[in-house]
Amino acid sequence: MGLRTPVGLRPALAAAILFAAAHAAWAEDQDDQDRLARWKQLRTSLFPGRQVGDADGIISVEAPARALDAALVPVDLRISGNRPVRSVYLVIDDNPAPLAAHIIFGPKADPRELKLRVRVNAYTNIHAIAETPDGQLHAATRFVKAAGGCSAPAGPDDEAALADIGRMKLRLVGEFNPGKPVQAQLMIRHPNFNGMQMNQITRYFTPARFIRTIDASYEGGQVFHLDADISLSTDPVITFGFIPSGKGQMKVVAQDSSNTTFDRSFDIPGTPAG
Amino acid sequence: MRRLTMALFLALSGIASGSGPAEPEGFWTGPTNAPVPQTLSGAKVIHTQALAALLKGKTPGVVIVDVSNGPRRPDNLPASSVWLPVAHPAIPGAIWIPGAGLGDPPASVEHYFRARLAQATGHDLARPLVVYCHEKCWLSWNGAKRALQYGYRQVYWFPDGIEGWRRAGMPTSVVASEP
Repeated sequence: MGLRTPVGLRPALAAAILFAAAHAAWAEDQDDQDRLARWKQLRTSLFPGRQVGDADGIISVEAPARALDAALVPVDLRISGNRPVRSVYLVIDDNPAPLAAHIIFGPKADPRELKLRVRVNAYTNIHAIAETPDGQLHAATRFVKAAGGCSAPAGPDDEAALADIGRMKLRLVGEFNPGKPVQAQLMIRHPNFNGMQMNQITRYFTPARFIRTIDASYEGGQVFHLDADISLSTDPVITFGFIPSGKGQMKVVAQDSSNTTFDRSFDIPGTPAG
Repeated sequence: MRRLTMALFLALSGIASGSGPAEPEGFWTGPTNAPVPQTLSGAKVIHTQALAALLKGKTPGVVIVDVSNGPRRPDNLPASSVWLPVAHPAIPGAIWIPGAGLGDPPASVEHYFRARLAQATGHDLARPLVVYCHEKCWLSWNGAKRALQYGYRQVYWFPDGIEGWRRAGMPTSVVASEP
């Protein structure tokens, strides 16, 4: 009985519901328009004077539609291989520093898959833009719902986050076969303070300190060079592909915004399941 | 003790029934994004349709203040970083003063807020003043309370925030933060 509506009120109620639905749709259209306008602004700011085409099956980007933790959103960049790709830009449209990373592949790279973890500040589009050797740009996009990742604290306290800074680990994901591509997962201990996180005790903003570049090389040949900004997550984890000619050494050099350099060499294949 | 228990009971039942927490005595210094009270003593609570009517109506010189937070460029961000925050949508005509709704704002922000309100109202404490930020956000509650303390007599607190405004299909315009 409680839910029954007097007959005379039904058309009014239906009209009200329709009205609300129309407004919701309108608001969504507004959001879509805002997103398109934002992407246009980013395209012209980041790639002045250059055309940015569709993905064209060259690149795709995967990310969870609704991220569990906005400070740790996994992003998976995939290159199909139907065209050679020189570098990939990762753009998180609504982050205040939207260019999260630029990865340039070296001759030892297998660029087909690269994974990393980023901070996301809002419901936002993520764009992955592949650059071909002739300088053409192709963008793939994905919409992610997450909020507040940029101001989420790096950890319970800043000092603990700075302990062990720069410590690295590397492990192979898959089987090592000389001459065959293999994936490796690199972990770097670093708070990656983005300058927008408030210390929970002092109430001051922790100054920005984040990894700006990572260079990985195998037996002297470049695998990748990565330029990063403040959007990489705390303790960056990067999974990338490379082609080992045989047993050898992977050298990783990272530099942060305080100009501190961290480096380490890893024996490949190293000890299994390490 | 009995009174305390009663007060606690009232506060808890208030939360449970969805009417929001009780008004704190001073400014709210807890988490910014949390349920807000339904009232602000001394101010009028206004919702979207009524606000639209107020702005469209004959009341002259309504001053609208957005006190939501904005991304702040980290002091030591390298010059090479691309800093390009998204455009901030606001109720058309609003002044955006981030920080003015903090529980304990920096002195410089408070001075600016006070002086800017005086300027915007033409030093007229009777001018209607609307303060808002986001929904379920304490900044506007604090900001409106601060305006009351300055002596403004017609303070409207708009708790629906920009989300409620946009959901109702109301227009927005892009605004830059002050100072």
